[in-house]
Amino acid sequence: MRILVVEDDADAAQAMVRGLSEAGHEVAHAVDGAYGLLEAQQGGYDVYVVDRMMPRLDGVGMVETLRKNGDQTPVLFLSALGEVEDRVTGLKAGADDYLVKPYAFAELIARVEALSRRRETGGVQTVLKVGDLEMNLIARTVHRGTTEIDLQPREFQLLEFLMRHANQSVTRTMLLEKVWEYHFDPQTNVIDVHISRLRAKIDKGFDRAMLQTVRGAGYRLEA
Amino acid sequence: MRLPSLLRRTPFRLTLLFLALFATAASAILAYVYIASAAEARAQAEASVQAEADILLAIYNARDIDALNMALIERISRSGPYVYVLTDASGAFISRNLDASPIDPAPDTRAGQWGTFRLTETDEAGRVERPQGLGVDYELSGGEHLFVGQSLGDTEAYLMRLTQALWAAMGMVLVLGASGGLLISRNVERSMARLNKVVMAVQDGDLKARAEVRKSGDELDELGQGLNQMLDRLEASMTSIRHAGDAIAHDLRSPLTRMRAKLEVALIDAEAGKVSGTDALGVALDEADHLLKTFNAVLAIARLQAAQGTPDPVRFDAADLASDMAELYEPAAEDKGLEFGAEIEAGLMIEANRPFLAQALANVIDNAIKYTPVGGAVMFRARRRSSGEVEYSVTDTGPGVPEADRERVVERFVRLDNSRTEVGSGLGLSLVVAVLEAHGGRVQLDEGPGVYDGFGPGLRVALVLPPAPAGV
Repeated sequence: MRILVVEDDADAAQAMVRGLSEAGHEVAHAVDGAYGLLEAQQGGYDVYVVDRMMPRLDGVGMVETLRKNGDQTPVLFLSALGEVEDRVTGLKAGADDYLVKPYAFAELIARVEALSRRRETGGVQTVLKVGDLEMNLIARTVHRGTTEIDLQPREFQLLEFLMRHANQSVTRTMLLEKVWEYHFDPQTNVIDVHISRLRAKIDKGFDRAMLQTVRGAGYRLEA
Repeated sequence: MRLPSLLRRTPFRLTLLFLALFATAASAILAYVYIASAAEARAQAEASVQAEADILLAIYNARDIDALNMALIERISRSGPYVYVLTDASGAFISRNLDASPIDPAPDTRAGQWGTFRLTETDEAGRVERPQGLGVDYELSGGEHLFVGQSLGDTEAYLMRLTQALWAAMGMVLVLGASGGLLISRNVERSMARLNKVVMAVQDGDLKARAEVRKSGDELDELGQGLNQMLDRLEASMTSIRHAGDAIAHDLRSPLTRMRAKLEVALIDAEAGKVSGTDALGVALDEADHLLKTFNAVLAIARLQAAQGTPDPVRFDAADLASDMAELYEPAAEDKGLEFGAEIEAGLMIEANRPFLAQALANVIDNAIKYTPVGGAVMFRARRRSSGEVEYSVTDTGPGVPEADRERVVERFVRLDNSRTEVGSGLGLSLVVAVLEAHGGRVQLDEGPGVYDGFGPGLRVALVLPPAPAGV
């Protein structure tokens, strides 16, 4: 995957470039919004990671310009310690996801990968398939092999998100934000309990566990 | 107070300005009174001289010069207020009650003309006065001249007295005004000095300085009161900032110290080739994350307190949020071996910041789950109070909080001794209080269901929010 990192802080940028490269991605770096726009025009990027506060052209301005020019490449917005308004302005400007600094690399990588996947799976699907797990979005039924799995509505949403991001790490924060649609710190790992209940339903009694725990990151649904 | 410094003072300068204005106005009035009085006196004198002359002319016209002369002599002998001079055609005096000498300069005797002259009179005390006179001259048909005049001495004396009275009055006004102004100025000066002293003291860093406020209720006392209130607030917020700063320093010091120690040990071990250091780094990362959480909570509290009202309020149903939170936390509670119940009334519209309120509820529910021993219960309710307010409450069967400590636990970084072993920043409830206060609501801590089977007495935490304003 080709990623453009637009960040004025050299140390932060270097760390990001290294972290993403080690995760197997090709990473380019621009030092501010103006260079970011120039680099983006070269094309060929799968995701832009854009810092909010930058000299010359800031992140909001850069993303607004990108969208105005018809560039629909997914954007992950970064900003310093959580300001609710920042998230709102970032998303309004056209960013697709938002991450607050400082973050864990696992969180950054998971979100970047989730964004690129989102573009690949554009279009309306009625059936999701991961390995022998099959989800019918119309009938709202789930089968693993021939066994029908009975899920609560939230468990269904949780599994749908995991299936849409199959073979990718998803973090607990991502799940809280995307499945429950809440932005707060739940203090304890409430998400873990929900995952373990879901895991009990989809993996129990089968030879192979699909829902894996990724140490230091979160979870991954493996085909 | 020396004069140059006095001159710079506003009250005294204002006094001087008003005195000058008053003196100008008084002078104008004085001049007007003087001119009007003089004109009036002159007009009166003219009228009476004219009337006298008319009578004498009538006598002459009806009879002859002799009859006029007789009338004059008769009038002169009665020593009336008038001055008469009758001369023949050659200019020789026929009769007069006046020597030529006292009239100086000689009245302009052109016929039909009014003129002024000076008289020489001697008063009772023998003093010689030279009052002004006013008269008119008539040329009679036989070529004789009749001059009738009157002294203006009385009028002059009246005007003199008037002028003196006016000057005296003005002098008094100036003296009283100046001393009054000085008095007021010193009074204001003293009050200002008191306020200034406070301001200087505060400038020098003494936030405890307060202005002395008298009961007079004047503007300066109001200013003093305002200054004191401002200083009270300033001192309170400084104290709270200092307190928060101390608390942050205190709370961040131990994790920082721990992290440093662990990193150092890891470095030594890694140098010795004993371990790779990965584990220690992992623990250090956890400590860093904990620090960041604490920072986040401190930041959120600061923002809420600075926001003056709900940040980004949205209208939504509090019951939906309650269902989501119950659904989110129920598995965690059950996993710990707690009974988790939720009672949620429908239709609880509020206007609130959803993420902040969710965070507040999360903190309260998480506390309840954390502090309730296995086998206990956590009850989550959302309902409308009879007052119309919306109330979220979380009741647990944990050890509860002694009544004496309930006010204290909501303070920043306060953690009761028996909770020291639990993970947490000590900011959880403070953040809840900050969220509720920003929403115009409040947090109430009460005893739970009481002691039974080794549980309890429990804690009931209620978050009370005002209902959404009507309409829309």
